Amino acid sequence: MTRPRRSLFMKYFVTLFVAVVTPLMLGSATEAWFAFRDNRFDLNELLQVEARSAADRIQAFTDGIRDQLGWVVQFPWTQGEDDRRRIDGLRLLQQVPAIVSLSMVDPTGTERVFVSRVSMNRTGRGGDMSADPAVVGARANRVWYGPVHYQRDSEPYMRIAVAGNRAAAGVVVADINLKLIWDIIAAIKIGDTGHALVVDDSGRLIAHPDISLVLRSGAGAGEFDRLKSVVSAANGSAVTTTGEDGKPVVAVSVRAPNVGWTVIAQQPVLEAFESIRAALWRSLVLIVIGIVFALVLAYWRACRLWGPIRQLEDGVERIGMGQLDHRITIKSHDELEQLAIRFNQMAEELAASQHKSERINRLKQFLAPQVAELVEHSDQRLLDAQRREVVAIFGDLRGFTAFTARAEPDAILAVLRQYYEAIGAVTARHEATLIRFAGDGVMVLVNAPVACENPAHRGVRLAIDMQAAVQSLTGAWNARGCAIGFGVGIAMGPATVGTLGWHERLDYTAIGNVVNLASRLCDLADDAQILVDPVVTGHVKDSVALASIGEQAIKGYDRALEVFAVGCMYAPIRHFDYRFQTAHVQPAGAKFDRIAPEPSLTDAD
Amino acid sequence: MAWPTAALAQDSTRVYRIFWVSTDSQPDPFLAGFREGLRARGYVEGKNVALELHYAPGNPQALREVVSELKRGNIDLAVSSGPATRAMTAVTDVPVLFALSGDPVELDLVKSLGEPGGNFTGSTFLSLELAGKRVELLKEAVPTVRRLAVFSNSLHPGEQSEWRATREAATALGIETVYVPFAGKSELDNGLAAVGDARADALLVFPDVLTLVHRAKIADFAIAHRLPSMFGWSEYCDAGGLLSYGANQRATYFWLATYADRILRGEKPANLPVFQPTKFELVVNLRTAERLGIDLDKSSVLFRANRVIE
Repeated sequence: MTRPRRSLFMKYFVTLFVAVVTPLMLGSATEAWFAFRDNRFDLNELLQVEARSAADRIQAFTDGIRDQLGWVVQFPWTQGEDDRRRIDGLRLLQQVPAIVSLSMVDPTGTERVFVSRVSMNRTGRGGDMSADPAVVGARANRVWYGPVHYQRDSEPYMRIAVAGNRAAAGVVVADINLKLIWDIIAAIKIGDTGHALVVDDSGRLIAHPDISLVLRSGAGAGEFDRLKSVVSAANGSAVTTTGEDGKPVVAVSVRAPNVGWTVIAQQPVLEAFESIRAALWRSLVLIVIGIVFALVLAYWRACRLWGPIRQLEDGVERIGMGQLDHRITIKSHDELEQLAIRFNQMAEELAASQHKSERINRLKQFLAPQVAELVEHSDQRLLDAQRREVVAIFGDLRGFTAFTARAEPDAILAVLRQYYEAIGAVTARHEATLIRFAGDGVMVLVNAPVACENPAHRGVRLAIDMQAAVQSLTGAWNARGCAIGFGVGIAMGPATVGTLGWHERLDYTAIGNVVNLASRLCDLADDAQILVDPVVTGHVKDSVALASIGEQAIKGYDRALEVFAVGCMYAPIRHFDYRFQTAHVQPAGAKFDRIAPEPSLTDAD
Repeated sequence: MAWPTAALAQDSTRVYRIFWVSTDSQPDPFLAGFREGLRARGYVEGKNVALELHYAPGNPQALREVVSELKRGNIDLAVSSGPATRAMTAVTDVPVLFALSGDPVELDLVKSLGEPGGNFTGSTFLSLELAGKRVELLKEAVPTVRRLAVFSNSLHPGEQSEWRATREAATALGIETVYVPFAGKSELDNGLAAVGDARADALLVFPDVLTLVHRAKIADFAIAHRLPSMFGWSEYCDAGGLLSYGANQRATYFWLATYADRILRGEKPANLPVFQPTKFELVVNLRTAERLGIDLDKSSVLFRANRVIE
């Protein structure tokens, strides 16, 4: 028998495993997803706040400069006040560190005062600045923010021009060193390594915590321009891109509106998603622990189920092989244990049943099948030794010894087989007990072990049938040249009956005078003759025609007994060519060569 | 500073060798500033950094040997202070940090301030630009100045340019100049004596290690000769000079140490822009003014001063 490829163990194991792992995975995945979403949202918020804060501070920086510049263009220009204006300018330089130099332009567009931290100051009528875009722009819009330019190709500068309320107040143009924004930008820390940076519209870097990047005369501007366009395209929400150092960053941009710069707040992805990574790791560790737990649990559970099932399977196999004493021990305190108990009960009952059937088979050796069943199903003590009234019937073939001397073994066995079959059939029909065959002899008991009504009568009828059956056979045998006849003796009396032998070979038998008597009577009987003792005769004389053949001396008996012969006989004579014919009752003691009369029994029933 | 000290990431077993090359002489205040900067970056001399000092006072030619040693030896970085930088131009494979008063582009040390492009980078003090500004401020504080003595160490490279800028500014302001050069430490006293003989009514001293080291002597001399004095760095004022205008030296050398750190960490000098000072300090010593009998109250220098020593 091939074992099914997918065992119950695997099915059970996989099912349990999946049942534990699936919800765990789903739970972890959901948690991770939500954590990621929340983290992403928080990061977006944080970056926006930082970028906006940086933009606000830059705005405050430029607004502060604008407001300070406003002071020096409050009054209209008058003659001879250049020196006062110069002092105003110097004080402004003192006030605003980012201003490197100042030009004060009168209403005609002529520079009147120039003060600087580095260069020599100038007062008095200077160059014409009316066409300077700073002056033009300030006159048009009151405030003008110039483009960022890089002095000596390194330091970022910007001009801011402010015009007074009235044209008469003139215009002030300041040159601003944007390196001072560095303080603002450097102060912005996003997480541990995140930072803010500022680029202008052309993508050139204006401010960065690493100021050397700013001073690098626009080298790498393309990189910052790309960063700016990518981040600006996201329209204020966080975007993951490559930072200026080539590492992935999460960035957000905010515009500083008055100067038109873009402030970008960025944090390396590695750091930004640190908490997510931690959460994912946690989930992963949980999943792994869960998987291991599920494996162990599923394995244990599957073993707990599979083990008993294997035990049961093994048990069934052993029982099948006839090991009926095999018992299963399962202590699982559940249905499986119940099943094992049932199994053991079944094995027990099977053993009992087999034992019983063995016994029946044994009984059938000497009892008619129906009697055997009856014996088996009734009281077991029927077979026990006891003393009771029995009818013993002995039959014996005549001329068999001579036949065996002449005939071939095959022929002898064929004759015996036919003879046994005939005897067995008759015995079974009369529900008598076939005690044994012994060569050409046979012993049959009536009224033991199963009691019956009117055993004597039954015994006689059995003997008559037996005689008839054998005589019908002897006809055929004699036709083949064998002179075989059959005699029967019947006696009735008390005998000790019971099983005798050892456990492998038990026989049911009867011991007592009656047996000896029946045997002797059989020996006395001629072919086709049935000799009956006086006891049986006493019982059946009313229904069976019996004829006394006189008193006969019986071996083992002190005095001679009167023996009767059943009056109805077959006459199977081999020496003479004769046919069965109806005959009247012959007197007892009719000889072997006589024509056997037709039995004329009157049934008792 | 943008880089926290704690973020130091040097190989702890490695000892970096730094050449300090100078045409000045010890004591060297610049070296002190640089060392301070290194310490602030987490370097400990003898443990993870070794400073090897090479001085050739007033003799840049003597540094040639140092240069050849630099080429041979396993040196991580050379720092040249002031004029010594010129002798270093022969060095091409060792990063060189400089601190110059002049323009490194003109000196052909770097391609541009923004992108040095070679193995040189550092800091420039813009001394040339400020030369005129100092005359202007002196005139502002002491409007009566007519004849200005200019005291200069002639061994200091670029000194001539500075002198020219000063002379032009003085001329524009209507001030007569007397140029008093001296060649190194040995001539310092003679130089001062010459200033005393110059019949000047004010003194302008070019910033230079030698004059810095002897600032007290010079300041005392100026007071003794009732000369309002103008210097390049605030240290002179602390020693008794009347006025000083210029970048903060300590901040500059501190910054240089930052660059040294970045180069030792593997950055290329070619990518580190030359640094220019953003803040210029105007320092006024009111005690000296008082001793000189100068009333600065009416002048604009007081409110413009970043620091007033009283």
